[in-house]
Amino acid sequence: MLPETYINEVEKRLRRTGRPREMVIDVMLEVQQFYGWFSDEALEQTAGLLQMHPLELEELATFYNYIYRQPVGKYVIHVCDSVICQMTAGYESFVEHMQEKLGIQMGQTTHDGLFSLLPVCCLGYCDLAPALMINQTVYGELTAEKFDQIIEDLRREK
Amino acid sequence: MPDLIIDNKKIQVAKGTRVIDAAQSAGIYIPRFCYFAELGAVGACRVCAVKFIDGPVEGIEMSCMVEAEDGMVVSTDDAEAVDFRRHVIEWMMMNHPHDCPVCDEGGHCLLQDLTVAGGHGIRRFSGKKRTYADQYLGPLISHEENRCIQCYRCSRFYQEYCGYKDLGVMGIAQRIYFGRYKDGVLENPFSGNLIDICPTGVYTDKPSRYTGRKWDFEQSSGVCTTCSLGCSIRVSARYRQVVRLEAGYSQAVNGAFICDRGRYGFSWVNSEKRPRQGRVDKKTMAPQKAAAAAAGRINDLEKQYGPGAIAVAGSGRSSLEALAAWHHLCQIRSWRGFFFDDLAAGPGAAAAVSGLSRENAVSMKAVESADMILAVGADPLREAPMLALAMRQAWRAGAGVFAIDPRDLEWPFAFRQVSAAADEIPGLVSGMATGNGFFENDSRHGRNMAAIRDQLAQSRSPVIVCGTAAGGQATVSAAAGLVQWLRKSKKDARLFGILPMANTFGGILLNGKPGTPEELIKGMESGQIKALVAAQSDLWKTCQDPDRLDRALRRLEFLCAADCVATELVSRADIVIPVFSVFEAGGIYINQEARAQWSQPAHAGGTPVRITGAGGHPPRVIGAAIPGGGLPPAWLAAWQIAGLAPPDSHEAMMDWMTKAYPVTAPVKTMGSEGVRIFPSQ
Amino acid sequence: MHPRVLLQNRKPGRIATMDEYRQSGGYQALEKAFVKNDPSPGDIREILLEARLLGRGGAGFPIGKKMATVPEDAPHPRYLVCNADEMEPGTFKDRVLIHADPHQLIEGIVLAARAIEAEIAVIFIRREYENAARILEREIQIARDAGFAGKNILGSGRDCELVVHRSAGRYICGEGTALINALEGKRANPRRPPPYPTTRGLWQLPTEVQNVETLCCVPHVLNNGAQWFQSLALTDSGAGTKVFSVSGKVNNPGCFELPMGVRLSELIEEHAGGMIPGSRFKACMPGGASTRLMPESMYHVRLDYGDMKEKGYRLGTGAVMVFDHKTCLVQVAVNLMTFFARESCGWCTPCREGLPYILDLLNRIEAGQGRAEYIEIIRKMCGHMKYSFCAFAPGAAAPVQGLIENFHEEVTAHIENQRCPFQDGQAGGDNAGSHH
Ligand SMILES: Cc1cc2nc3c(=O)[nH]c(=O)nc-3n(C[C@H](O)[C@H](O)[C@H](O)COP(=O)(O)O)c2cc1C
Ligand code: SF4
Ligand code: FES
Repeated sequence: MLPETYINEVEKRLRRTGRPREMVIDVMLEVQQFYGWFSDEALEQTAGLLQMHPLELEELATFYNYIYRQPVGKYVIHVCDSVICQMTAGYESFVEHMQEKLGIQMGQTTHDGLFSLLPVCCLGYCDLAPALMINQTVYGELTAEKFDQIIEDLRREK
Repeated sequence: MPDLIIDNKKIQVAKGTRVIDAAQSAGIYIPRFCYFAELGAVGACRVCAVKFIDGPVEGIEMSCMVEAEDGMVVSTDDAEAVDFRRHVIEWMMMNHPHDCPVCDEGGHCLLQDLTVAGGHGIRRFSGKKRTYADQYLGPLISHEENRCIQCYRCSRFYQEYCGYKDLGVMGIAQRIYFGRYKDGVLENPFSGNLIDICPTGVYTDKPSRYTGRKWDFEQSSGVCTTCSLGCSIRVSARYRQVVRLEAGYSQAVNGAFICDRGRYGFSWVNSEKRPRQGRVDKKTMAPQKAAAAAAGRINDLEKQYGPGAIAVAGSGRSSLEALAAWHHLCQIRSWRGFFFDDLAAGPGAAAAVSGLSRENAVSMKAVESADMILAVGADPLREAPMLALAMRQAWRAGAGVFAIDPRDLEWPFAFRQVSAAADEIPGLVSGMATGNGFFENDSRHGRNMAAIRDQLAQSRSPVIVCGTAAGGQATVSAAAGLVQWLRKSKKDARLFGILPMANTFGGILLNGKPGTPEELIKGMESGQIKALVAAQSDLWKTCQDPDRLDRALRRLEFLCAADCVATELVSRADIVIPVFSVFEAGGIYINQEARAQWSQPAHAGGTPVRITGAGGHPPRVIGAAIPGGGLPPAWLAAWQIAGLAPPDSHEAMMDWMTKAYPVTAPVKTMGSEGVRIFPSQ
Repeated sequence: MHPRVLLQNRKPGRIATMDEYRQSGGYQALEKAFVKNDPSPGDIREILLEARLLGRGGAGFPIGKKMATVPEDAPHPRYLVCNADEMEPGTFKDRVLIHADPHQLIEGIVLAARAIEAEIAVIFIRREYENAARILEREIQIARDAGFAGKNILGSGRDCELVVHRSAGRYICGEGTALINALEGKRANPRRPPPYPTTRGLWQLPTEVQNVETLCCVPHVLNNGAQWFQSLALTDSGAGTKVFSVSGKVNNPGCFELPMGVRLSELIEEHAGGMIPGSRFKACMPGGASTRLMPESMYHVRLDYGDMKEKGYRLGTGAVMVFDHKTCLVQVAVNLMTFFARESCGWCTPCREGLPYILDLLNRIEAGQGRAEYIEIIRKMCGHMKYSFCAFAPGAAAPVQGLIENFHEEVTAHIENQRCPFQDGQAGGDNAGSHH
């Protein structure tokens, strides 16, 4: 369940704007932050909060890229697969390395629920290709070693 | 009035006409998928591309998105445009199943038509087809998403046009999906239109699935008799049953849509319980014989007690022809009279009819352009669903909507309600016409009433919708008075009454003062009425106190029923004369705005093959006569029951009717949009 | 050395503070405009028009012209939207501009808002730029505290509220009208004008959408005048500087601010460090993923909206993606088309279905299963993309059109040999050389 304070805050915002759609993307992202992904439960609660029909939220959730309608790990690794990253030397073996390191394929989540690997389009860091983004932090000029280091650090942080 | 040239034809159209419609007015059909006049143009499918050769627009553009302008020269068969359109079809067919020959939508499918017309027969694309899971949308509509060509008609109709939110578009790019959040019954009481507007077979009529294909059906244009609006319908029949109803097109009444109640409310006509044989004291016999027996008994009772002992009860579900026959017969035989069931369901009906005039009447389509709507004692969504949809369109265009009503109203648009008790309504309504200061003292309704009054003052073309059930006669009179007052203050105000039945208007038009059911029951209770003919009577349904009615009916010496529906009165009747339904006999119906319309018969009547053949295939009687056929239309049964020679054809009946009731004369020359007939003309 | 304007305060590893921005002349134009009403809103519009400041978000439309379409008597509130979506592959200049000098953008926004008398400004920013979004939120507060934004700017009685809106992520959201739908909490399908957003945009109110870089230019134009701005360019028709994002097979990828009209060869060789060792220039996309692949023969072209247009190319966002002789351009096309097919908003048929169709054929060609007739199908379909609903699909077709026109032999080689000539990875490039 969403914290009472959050619910109150959203209701207050809604009363102020009077336009649920003006805040719907923000609220969806916030609720997703709370649940880790935008589950049916999250969707239905958001619908209730904003007095929108669940379908109206589904229409949006399935349109946008960063609203996860399936469970993802605590750290979502978005690997850029657009043209500049993809043509950097060793890109393919780098992707393979990531999959091996985590023991999952693209599109999957590790058993401990810590990491998901998802492809993503150009992150706007082509000068630092190859690049990836974990949650909202972008890492560039990646190598296998650098990636391993990042993963180890995150594992330690949990 | 822009002048333009399309395919070398000079065309003049009204300002604001889209090129796609301008072409159609000249007989040139431009393909379209997303465009649907009622829903407006959005330019999504791109199949209506044409070449603008000269004038204010040049190059290839979508003909649905461009308004006709002076000096335009348009070519629909320009090579590049044709090639592009052919590609659009090919793109749509990339993922569409290639099963037209066995598809249940085959022959009824715009996509099929345009694919064939565009010459796309061979599949070039060798990639995989995308597939989707279908959803359960309730008992009435099937969902086959694999057929979808993403024209967006359904989601736009559902959400924008109707205002319901449980069906829409999900996903992105080539994974677009039209459906619900989760499986479930569609909430929109106009959902059935999805079947009609889907240009292919994503939404199909579930009850009629696999009962035949378009070319198997006997088809006709009918008038929906479910409520008093008289929407146009397309009737499909096969094997002596009505299989499915679709929206017909009427520019004045319903446009291109109908409500689900109308679309699916015809099961009575195929019912196994429907009277199909004459019955005299539990013995079955031919309808004519049963009618003759009834005539004999009525004669006897008439001799014994005088003609005042004979009464006829009827309802507005009868055709104008039948109502005219009964009115006439009651008069010439001096029977106690014709009692009109509808006056129980809508005590204000007579006032609503007499208050209507050529000046203040308004068609349902025209309600969409009202700049303010006030509904008094009316719940359109329940009493005349398509009206709610028309009101929504007015609201979308900026009209304010107000209601004065005691009930919990829920309409698919925003409105402001004064929750006054039924008996307060007439006072509040007429108060608006009696000047200032009236509401300021009314602490409960004052503010909202003042808002209504202010809006009325600002509006130029308000429509006052009034129910005839909740408020009764006083409310209707007050509403009519308000309209009159507004018109005097130079406003184009209109009155829209909601009547209880499809032909309530006709019944009252023929005889301004039919007897009320209350009078009828009193007559039976007092023993003055000895014989009752229930002519398609809904007395039992509309009566508030069935015990009382039951006791009254028991005092009768003779009950005769002529009907096509298995009503309670039919089951109690001493003599039953089955009659053809509107789907078999046709008939004229006059809707609440005085519009008389002819409903064509859809098929020759008879017992459905489903019933005659049940469990007994192949042994069936083979013969020229249709099993269970040869029933009289209701108007014919009337003459037979009265023991008089009927007009010998429908045409003769019409001749007779228009002479006996000159007010009905315009029906003889009415066109496809019907004709309006006002009581005072 | 070329003069630096937009990136003059760029510091390695940190943003320029408000004070640093002010020391370089920042907020002077704003102060004059708000306190002295000089220039007035009308003057601002005129100066910008005269300066020939063209939109840097891809379309190159004059900002002054767009501002002039806001009707004088249009209702309020009006909106100024700063488009920081920047999802065009290869493009990252807006990110660099925000990270280098956020107050330059803030001043640009407030001034542009002033020009159309908008009282609300929304910065629509892609989710990947969370750092930039936080920087902006923080610096907007600083600007507000200093009286440069928010209510009653510098006591002038005029407001400009700045709001940062984070996108939930889709390339199409960057399209101006789709962006408005996204802000309204709708699916980000584009809207088809008329009405134009400047008459009926966000919440049906007048809305002007401008790119980050365009807005960053505004204070400088007002400070130094239209003539000065024009004189920055190396071409007669051009004006101002351009921030180029260079990526791909160069030694020093990154953002470079250079005069409009600089030659491509100079950009690559003198600023982006030249081609990486062992690489020869083969092709580039001159202005992001939705511009036509440009062949070596254009190596010395002047990068300017007008000049390039004459030669059949578009400067777009000025994102130069450089490909060398070892890069398989069919594969580049496959990659780009995969992106576009995935990001299509799904509204209209050519884009939603046609791009996957083209992608399927390109994939087959790349996989060695191509057929000669595919080329004609692709050419036709790409040509037809111009009849789609918005500029997305023609943009998606552009690189492939460039491929088919300029690198016909490379495509044919795939088909004739039934294999990719670069199949053995990056090293197999010599195979391809034989086709040139
Ligand atoms: C598919 C598509 C994506 C776009 N993405 C962006 C974008 O991310 N940022 C941007 O500034 N303009 C983008 N544009 C251009 C905008 O539609 C619009 O022209 C621009 O924001 C206007 O600002 P400007 O005149 O300052 O360039 C895009 C256009 C299209 C067709
Ligand atoms: S071209 Fe059509 S489908 Fe593609 S992004 Fe534009 S509107 Fe959407
Ligand atoms: S009918 Fe015109 S674009 Fe679909």
